[in-house]
This record gives sequence, C-alpha cells and structure tokens, in this order.
Amino acid sequence: MDSVISLNLRKSFPGFQLSVNADLPAGIAAVFGPSGSGKTTLLNCIAGLDRPDEGEIRLQGQTLYSNSAGINLAPERRRVGYVFQDNLLFPHLSVQKNIHYGYKLTSESRRRVAPGQLVDLLELGPLMQRRTSGLSGGEQQRVALARALAASPDLLLLDEPLASLHLSIRGRILRYLKAIHRELSIPMLYVSHSISEVIALADSALVLDRGRQVALDEPRTLLGRSDAGPLTSRDSVENIFDVSVIEHLPESGITLAALGETTLALPQVDVPTGQPVSISIRASDVILASEKPNSISARNILEARIDRVDAAGRSILIHAHLEQPWISEITPDALANLNLREGERVYLIIKSSSISLLD
Amino acid sequence: MLSSAELHALRLSLQAASLGVLLGFPVAFAIAWALVKTEMRGKLALEILVSFPLALPPVITGYALLLLLSREGVVGRFLNWAFGIDLLFTWIAAALAAGLVSLPLMVRAMEVALAGVDPRLEKAARSLGAGPIRSLLTVTLPLAYRGMAAAALLGFARGLGEFGATIVVAGNVPGLTQTLPLAIFTDLQAGDDSAALRLVAISVILAAISLTIHHVLIHRRGSLRRQWTPS
Repeated sequence: MDSVISLNLRKSFPGFQLSVNADLPAGIAAVFGPSGSGKTTLLNCIAGLDRPDEGEIRLQGQTLYSNSAGINLAPERRRVGYVFQDNLLFPHLSVQKNIHYGYKLTSESRRRVAPGQLVDLLELGPLMQRRTSGLSGGEQQRVALARALAASPDLLLLDEPLASLHLSIRGRILRYLKAIHRELSIPMLYVSHSISEVIALADSALVLDRGRQVALDEPRTLLGRSDAGPLTSRDSVENIFDVSVIEHLPESGITLAALGETTLALPQVDVPTGQPVSISIRASDVILASEKPNSISARNILEARIDRVDAAGRSILIHAHLEQPWISEITPDALANLNLREGERVYLIIKSSSISLLD
Repeated sequence: MLSSAELHALRLSLQAASLGVLLGFPVAFAIAWALVKTEMRGKLALEILVSFPLALPPVITGYALLLLLSREGVVGRFLNWAFGIDLLFTWIAAALAAGLVSLPLMVRAMEVALAGVDPRLEKAARSLGAGPIRSLLTVTLPLAYRGMAAAALLGFARGLGEFGATIVVAGNVPGLTQTLPLAIFTDLQAGDDSAALRLVAISVILAAISLTIHHVLIHRRGSLRRQWTPS
C-alpha cells in the first residue's frame, strides 16, 4: 500500500493514553477530534518533540521511531515541517530570516523549494523586512508556513492553523494550503477540530477521541458514521467553497460569483472581479426542494443531484453534487415529505444573505 | 588625587572582578542551562551546592578555595605539578574568589534569562533542522542576550565588592593583592578616614555604573532589541 505515514504508537500521560494505528495516504490527511483528544501529542510524536512509549513511526519508508529497533531520530533529522498552533516565529529575526532559517540548514541536494517561490505563493513580498511582532495573525501564519516549507520537508504538520485566526481570513489560509499542496505536492497532516475545514481540505481524516482512534475515513463519510459522526458536532457543518467574483450589482446589493460553471449570488463583497474568494454556507441554510420553485425570494436556486442520504443522526444530511459536493441538513420530517433518494434531482435553495465570506 | 597604591587597588579590583566573571561565566552558564533546559537528576542538589557561596560567610568560601589551591589541595597540587605555579596570594586567587562568590548570582540571573525563552521556540528550531547546539546559539542565546549580559554585570558588581574570600586566598599585600575593599579596610585600621572615604567614593561610583547598566539591560527591552533586527 502506498502510505506516506505509517503510525503505530502509544503514549501515556497520567490519566490519558494515546493509541494510534493508522496508515495515512499521500495528500492532505486531517487529524480530527475534540480538544484533549491527543491530536497535538500525536503531531509532537511524529516531529520528534515527544517520545512515544512504544510503537513505530515511519515516513515514506524511513523509520523515524521504533521502540523495538531502538530508533528515535532527533527532530532535526526527521525532515518533518511543523506549523505550530501559535506559529512560534523567532522574535529576534526578521520575516526573511525566519523563512531562511530552515532553508540554510537544508543541504543543497535536498532543497526542493526555493524561498522565492514561497514568497510568491504566500504573497509575503511586502513583509520580508518586517519584524515578526508587528504582523497580524494571518500574516504570522503565512510566515510560519513559508518557514516550515523552506526546509523542504517530506511531511508538513499543521496544528490547527486556523484556530487562532479570525473567522474572516480562514478561507484565505485554506486557499494557500491548497495551493501549496497543488504546487509543491508535500504531504500534509492537518490537525483541526472543525469538520467543515477538514471536508474542504483533506482527503482522509483520522478521528481521535480521548486518545483513542475512532475512525480513519474519507471526511464526508465521517458525518454519517455512528461512531465518528457525533464527534464532528453536526450543528456546525458548513459548505466551504472557493469561488471567483464575476460581477458586482450594487443596485441589487449582490455580487455574482462563479463556482465552476454555476453562478452564485452573494451579498455584495468588496473584492475585485476575477479574484478568488472563499465562502461558507451552513448545511442547515441549504434548503431543498424536489421541484423548481417559481417565485421565491432566495436568490440562488441550483439544480443538483443527490449522492447520498445520511440518516444516522438526529438530523438528516443530504449529500448532493453540483460542481462540488454539497451538504444540506434537514429534519426527518422533511425527508419523508420530499421523498429524497440517491441519484435523484434536487434543488438547492440558498438565500444570498446566508452565504458568508471567509476572506 | 589618588596615590599609586590606591590606583593599583582600583586596577586590581577591576582586573579580579573581570577575570572572575570571565572564568565564572561559562561555568555559571553550563549550570543554569542544565538546571533550566535539561531533565537531569539532582537539580536540587546542584542548585543548593552552587548557592552555598550566597548563603555562607565569604570567609568560608575563601577557606574552601584556600584548601583547594594550597599545595596539599587537589587543584593546588595539580597546578604545581603541571605548571609549577602557586596561585595562592596572587591576584588570580583574588579573581577566583570573586568568580566563586558571584557564581550563584550569575547562575540565578541566567536561569531567569533562559527560562524566559519559550522552549517551544527551540523546538521550532529543531524541527527546522537545527541541532541542539545550533538551536542554543541561534535562538536561545540571542533571545536571552540581555539577561546574560545582566548576569555578567551582576557578577562583576559582586566581584568588585568581594572581601572575605579574597583576604583568605589572596591576602592583603598592597600593590600586589590589595583590592579596593581590602585597601579601605586597611585605611580604616590605620585610622586614615580620608583615604578610606576616597576609596569608598570610587567604589560607590563603580557600583552605580555597573548597577545602572544592569538595570538598563533588564528593563529597557526595546532599546536593545532594535539593534538585532535588520533595518
């Protein structure tokens, strides 16, 4: 099997035991779970900052830690990049020197990423000579990302990179992460406690609860699982999409944006046309209709197809497809009335005011 | 204004305190680093041992040093055997005495400075490919720089005032091992109050200068920090 990270480890603290046995595929994998579930401990063990009690950690065939073989590589020899929850930029160095710190320590033959490429990708140009203390949260996050990536890691660990950020810039960082993954193809392990982020970003998700491994699955599938589903706190499921601005209609108070071939009406935003923006629509704000409504105040009526009906929990999650997978949350009563089935046509109805901007 | 013997006492005091700090600094740093940044056993014992010169009368510290440096002592015998030298009753012995009594102060100041550096920054450096030594040199020390300098200043100030241990190991030979405090003591013994007061004034000025620099290092973060960031 083509797994990038092979984890089999146990680590105990008083009153807590972390136990994980998972092979994570290439791409972006998420570690998901409520606070105190052992996510950061797992990352620290992979980075070599914490030592497991027993087990084995392998990265692309190389053993980073093995209890039985007596291997425990020092953090600096693991080639694992780490973006910490609170960034931990070096306060005595400029942005530029922070980014070059790991780059300079990487042998030339190992360098796969040029700092200049990162500066462009993360739009850090104007910040390079600044001190880190004057940067905003989002700027610090980008510098921390660039600093970790400049060392050309074989794996990038991200510990809740969006948790400390204001909601309004979450989308931008998500877009940067996607761009990094696309352009540099560095595998990532991404810790989050937001299922919506995980769905928007990750290909697979490892679910932890109080140190116990609950599930390793495709993020969307987790929502419907009776074991992992309750941990994902359904009431906060959002659909997160990247769209690009087409046109502003000031007289109507809306902005038109493209999601693939589909046009969405958003509340008016202050973003130039052609620019990408990230939007969020709560699953509970996506209204479903089995027939196309004729006169209705909602600005977005979109035809989609039902992929799956998840009826495991108290509310029903309808997974539909239109350019991207969508999730709508409805009541069991509504499901019975509308007679929604997999493969059938459905209309997604979204008021433009329930679309919020994440930039 | 000052007699040549007095000038000599001043120079000797500065020399002894400086060399004391120079010798004590790496030792103090190693001890502070071990206490703050490692998981080693016996930290309490080390902390207490290194603090003895703070709590004991300096004359006892001096006596311990005398036993070590004498011909019968471990260090003294070695130095005599290896280099044919005897440090007792030289200004170097005075420097060692100054270094030893200021060691606990330097260790304490360094502990504070090192503890002030977020250990996670060092971990970040490690994850970026820096080994422990590089992480120490490029992250810990630059961030603890002011505290380290303040520790040296504190040690210097303490070394200038050293009396009890110095008189035991270096004696009180004018022009040879007589430091400022010893010279003041001698003047007082001789009833020469005006000579004593001149030296007191010099001591007060020296103390004021080093304590002022110490204060600046500890409190005026911004002014010094600005020098490290590129313009």
